[in-house]
Amino acid sequence: MIELIASGLVLASMYGLVAVGISLTWSSVGMLNLAQGFVFTFGGYVAFLFAQYMAKNFSIRDGVLLSLGVVLLGMIGSAIAGLIVGGLAFLPLHDRVNFPVRGLIATLAISIMGTQIFMLIFGPQSKPLPQIFGIKRLKIGEFSIAYGQVGTIVVATVVLLIVTLWMRRSRRGLQMRAMMMNPLGANMVGVSVRTTGMIALAISGALAGLASVLLGQIFFVSPTSGVQPLIVGLIISLAGGLGSMPGTVLAAVLLGFAEAVTARYTEQSFVPFVQFALVIAILTFKPRGLGGVLEDVRE
Amino acid sequence: MREVSSGYGTMRVIHGLNFTIDPGERIGLVGLNGHGKTTLISTIVGMTGWQDGSIEFMGQQIGGRRSHGVGRNTPKIVRSGIAIAPQGDAIFPGLTVEENLASGAYTEGAWKTRKQRRDAILEVFPPLRTRLKQSAGTLSGGERRMVSVGRALMADAKLYLVDEPSLGLAPKISIGLVDALCKIDLGDGAMLIAEQNLPLLSGRCDRILGMHAGELKEDVGEAFGDIPPAAEM
Repeated sequence: MIELIASGLVLASMYGLVAVGISLTWSSVGMLNLAQGFVFTFGGYVAFLFAQYMAKNFSIRDGVLLSLGVVLLGMIGSAIAGLIVGGLAFLPLHDRVNFPVRGLIATLAISIMGTQIFMLIFGPQSKPLPQIFGIKRLKIGEFSIAYGQVGTIVVATVVLLIVTLWMRRSRRGLQMRAMMMNPLGANMVGVSVRTTGMIALAISGALAGLASVLLGQIFFVSPTSGVQPLIVGLIISLAGGLGSMPGTVLAAVLLGFAEAVTARYTEQSFVPFVQFALVIAILTFKPRGLGGVLEDVRE
Repeated sequence: MREVSSGYGTMRVIHGLNFTIDPGERIGLVGLNGHGKTTLISTIVGMTGWQDGSIEFMGQQIGGRRSHGVGRNTPKIVRSGIAIAPQGDAIFPGLTVEENLASGAYTEGAWKTRKQRRDAILEVFPPLRTRLKQSAGTLSGGERRMVSVGRALMADAKLYLVDEPSLGLAPKISIGLVDALCKIDLGDGAMLIAEQNLPLLSGRCDRILGMHAGELKEDVGEAFGDIPPAAEM
């Protein structure tokens, strides 16, 4: 039972990180970022290169410092990838006609090209990341949970809390929420759509990078490893109500548990069916998603 | 402003305007619908389709010739010290009144003193006091306008542009709003209020400029002076 809860929460944390990023980008920049999978993988490879470099030159293969470095570089790498996506798809297009569709196509193009470039550089084999939380297991009575799972849940929760607080309390966070509500009005109080948009892309990139490193504990990094998180992240951010942090997190928990339960009692191949059925059910009864903040805001 | 023209696409709305606003001055801009009041305000903050001529603000060129990039410089111009309360209201409906006001305090200095600034604005618009935690989308029209104007006043600006504060409001409420606007102590900041309703402004501003078909008529105050206020209602 505890194992089921743990794996459900692990999936929820990972999906939550990616989905909150997609949701943040959509609501502040107004662009559905299909290149989020590319951003995700980019951070994974940066973390892998760092681990490889440390192992080769300093023979450091584990330890707290290496783990910290892997996490930080994964996040920084993905934040940079987010800025690249912004530079290619957002800055040149955002004040042109029909930006949502153009942005969608541009990010799709980046996503496809990115996968091919990764393939070219790193080859199709998966690359392992170091086990950042160690390989021991935490014992609770007769059950045991891997440290990796506990670490993933804790880190993801803490980071999402920090982002939520930052959005609520800081000046930049206020600007970003203002931009979600009314981009024109935000412009008039001095919020630069371009700067704030790039910040939003970098933050959602960093979240994806964290998810990438955490997922790298279970599945290795490969050129296409961003596809699954992108798809699930997209449907979660839809089900959560694009733009709503609490709604997105709730949807991530629901879909994470749906996957954990399905995979345990039936087969892994049923997982997408159950997930999509769940999302369709949510959107049938709550067309604006669970959070539904965009009720009368951005149309 | 010297020889400023502006418009949208192939349309020229403003025709070669020349005028100056002095520090501490309160100016009324009067004119009928569609004669360019809003366009003039949009021009100052760079939100028209194109513009030409020179707009100087505190020794800095903020206008100049431009034919693309609508609104791209607006944040920079706003941060250089021009606060704007747009026509209708461009408030943020999902944020609380408090957050709406705080978003006006964009500059570093204004952000740090946002509590004092907010209290000063609550003095001017007391009805907002009980609404601080309420989301701005649920307010009445008059209260929304107060939030919109209040947000502009939160800024640490040298020039406040207020576009049609009375639009769509009941006469009694709009009189109260304009009264409040004219009572605020701006220090050395100047204010430009665009308005269709001349009697609302006359006697309350330092200077009243008339606007007709995209051209300025200086000091039209007396020309309209003999129109009884009732006719305007």
